[in-house]
Amino acid sequence: MTSTLGYGAVLGALFCAAFGALVGLGTGASRREWGLPWARRAAVGFFAFMVLANAIMVYALLTHDFSVHYVAQVGSRATPTVYTVVSLWSALEGSILFWGVILGTYLLAFALSQKKEHARYLPFALGTMLAVGVFFAFLIAGPANPFGRVSPAPPDGPGPNPLLQNHILMVIHPPMLYLGYVGMTIPFGIAVAALLRGELGEAWTTTLRRWTLIPWTFLSVGIILGSWWAYAVLGWGGYWAWDPVENASFLPWLTATAFIHSTMVHERRKVLKLWTISLVLGTFLLTILGTFMTRSGVFNSVHSFTQSDIGPTFLAFIGILLVFCITLLATRGQLLSPEGAIRSPLSRETAILVNNLLFVGITFTVLLGTLFPLITEAVRGVRVSVGEPYFNKMAVPGGVAVLFLMGVGPMLPWGSANPRVVREQLLIPAAAAALTIGLCVAFGLRGVMPLLTFGLAAFVTAITLRELLLPAKVRILEHKEGPWTALVRSASKSRRRFGGYVVHLGVVFIFVAIAASSSFVTHTSATLGLGKSIKIGDYSLKFVGLKEGAEPHRRWKAANVEMTTEGGGAQLLAPRMNFFERSTDPIGTPAVRSTPTGDLYVSLLAFGEDGGSATFNLWIFPMVGWIWWSMPILVLGALIAAWPSRRPSAVLSLSSRGAGPVSKVNRGAA
Amino acid sequence: MKWKITLALSAACAALVIVLAKGFGRDPHEVPFMLRGQPAPPFALKTLQSGEIVSLEKLRGKPVVLNFWSTWCGPCRAEHPVLDWAFREYGTQAHFLGAVFEDTEENALGYIGRAGSPYPQLVDPKSQMAVDYGVAGVPETYFIDAEGIIRDKFVGPISRGAFAAQMRSVMGPRASAELPK
Repeated sequence: MTSTLGYGAVLGALFCAAFGALVGLGTGASRREWGLPWARRAAVGFFAFMVLANAIMVYALLTHDFSVHYVAQVGSRATPTVYTVVSLWSALEGSILFWGVILGTYLLAFALSQKKEHARYLPFALGTMLAVGVFFAFLIAGPANPFGRVSPAPPDGPGPNPLLQNHILMVIHPPMLYLGYVGMTIPFGIAVAALLRGELGEAWTTTLRRWTLIPWTFLSVGIILGSWWAYAVLGWGGYWAWDPVENASFLPWLTATAFIHSTMVHERRKVLKLWTISLVLGTFLLTILGTFMTRSGVFNSVHSFTQSDIGPTFLAFIGILLVFCITLLATRGQLLSPEGAIRSPLSRETAILVNNLLFVGITFTVLLGTLFPLITEAVRGVRVSVGEPYFNKMAVPGGVAVLFLMGVGPMLPWGSANPRVVREQLLIPAAAAALTIGLCVAFGLRGVMPLLTFGLAAFVTAITLRELLLPAKVRILEHKEGPWTALVRSASKSRRRFGGYVVHLGVVFIFVAIAASSSFVTHTSATLGLGKSIKIGDYSLKFVGLKEGAEPHRRWKAANVEMTTEGGGAQLLAPRMNFFERSTDPIGTPAVRSTPTGDLYVSLLAFGEDGGSATFNLWIFPMVGWIWWSMPILVLGALIAAWPSRRPSAVLSLSSRGAGPVSKVNRGAA
Repeated sequence: MKWKITLALSAACAALVIVLAKGFGRDPHEVPFMLRGQPAPPFALKTLQSGEIVSLEKLRGKPVVLNFWSTWCGPCRAEHPVLDWAFREYGTQAHFLGAVFEDTEENALGYIGRAGSPYPQLVDPKSQMAVDYGVAGVPETYFIDAEGIIRDKFVGPISRGAFAAQMRSVMGPRASAELPK
């Protein structure tokens, strides 16, 4: 019964999506108005059926209905309730079903939030988004059907993948990534509508930017949470391994970030229209490629789901999308011709253009490294692996260059800059960079890349803070406002610019944390007898015994370690190993003592049979926590930037002033 | 878009799709095994049952079947009857050894007390042997030929058919067993 109901809901969603796609694209092409309300209704129907299908699956999981194929595959009576719900997205079929409900929610939000002013684009946009919905509903109804019946129903199941049951971050990391991935369908639909219409108006561009910023924020948070999870669960002391599936999430983030910047040039200078639209199409294609990477079984990765039959269907979809996008760009691209030109190499638009080329260059490099094992296997029949050194060597210099441009870009005016004024503006940030590098050297830090990163971080911070605070200072002086009032009002006058700079500050934190934690890491491993101690950095660690315990879904063994610091601090750490029934390997839970200056990371490697000794992997990672602590800053900045303004937009009001030499107060939107 | 760019883009995309299509049929969780065809790393470890030291060196002349397992691992328990069968069928033709992986002696003794084990179980206190053999998880079964060369390893719970195939590879046609119909 549950299977039938669930499958019926999926078919309902498939029907709504197919109907809405046909009506939307058909009436859009024939320029008839009656299609829009029906496309909207189809979006609402798609959402409702997807919610129903997901609710039925969650019900089946919670009631341990093992006659449902997916529940028999991932359910278990011993699994705690929270992880039973999480198992909705812990395996392939459920994750696609969950994808469907997120797509439905995005479609509903988009369909209901758009006003009549966009009526000429909307049938195309909704039609395209619902066509994507057709593909996913077809996957759920066919090759990835989670509602198949199992007869006779087994009394119990194996439970979800143990790695996913080991940390609460697994509850939120995948939904955040999915919200990022799936959300890119909306800008894709908007961009396709612009190409099909052959025009990209200002209001539609604003819609495109805002609907990209939302999934970009989720994708950023998802990626950071994923790295945090790897750090907190896997016990190898790292947070990023350039795994194909990690790369798969990073690639669309890179192109979406490039888009967020290029759209400013498009709005301000009326150039890079086709480039900007291509970035949106590319971002969506990369999210689909990323989904293929995780689910096709083609890539070796810890993240991969089990081998499945959906690979060819997915590849066919990628093929159709590529043909569609190239045809669209080739036949309609010329309609989005530039109306202006980039006049000076010393201008903000040039800085953003270089930034875009860097982002796309890094995207290509990472994509090539990810695909290279497949390419060599296809061409030479030999499988090679491309490891961390390649990615670090290729991506790190690009990242440092992006950091430099994060400072230079906001400092330059639109149009053309007066070199003398630019030199003046550079003085304080350059001094901050030199001072930072000098202090680092004085404290004994060495290494070109980390010191360069710290120096550039100071450079960018100085410029960003000046850009953030200068308008407030003017308000304090001219309007006699209090500092807080002046800051809030200046921010609300140009939310996008203010929000963008806040995001930049968050990104600076991430750069510094990555440089510090990867360049100045301290590592050792040791086997300690009972009562024996070891020193690492300022910490002294004493092994005081093993303890063990059992929970319904796992057994565990922990090593108690007394940690003391030179400053007199003390704490009991308990790194452990978890033994899951289904697992073929113990799953560790490292103990982490996190402080703003760095983390002490203790991982239990092995223990003596009699409990008299234990082997540990020990690390000190300077400042690593700032990678995850930057998330609130990124989200706050993105929220400020995406928040709808009552005025048309800060950009429009500023653009009316023209592009003169650098003004002390206002150098345009970020 | 200019036709040259369109053509280049189309070619790149076609190449991408072909490369991705060529990758179908792989096991995404396959861990490369570098010890195939290499001499088996030596070991000398005490057995769980008698405390006697067993060394690989002394087992030359006959193939060795080495099974890594653990009491906390469900698939290992599922595999146990297959290994019992295999010992009955091939016990005279090959040496059988178990190795307890990431577990306590107490747990392992308790388990083989209940389920039985007709062949010696080795204790690997610091997991050194598991590291030497590149064990990625349990159960894993290594097939070492009479000359001490690792012919293959089987990852996951082994079936009777797979076991027989491995034995044929290690011993040649001499390996004989009655497979279930």
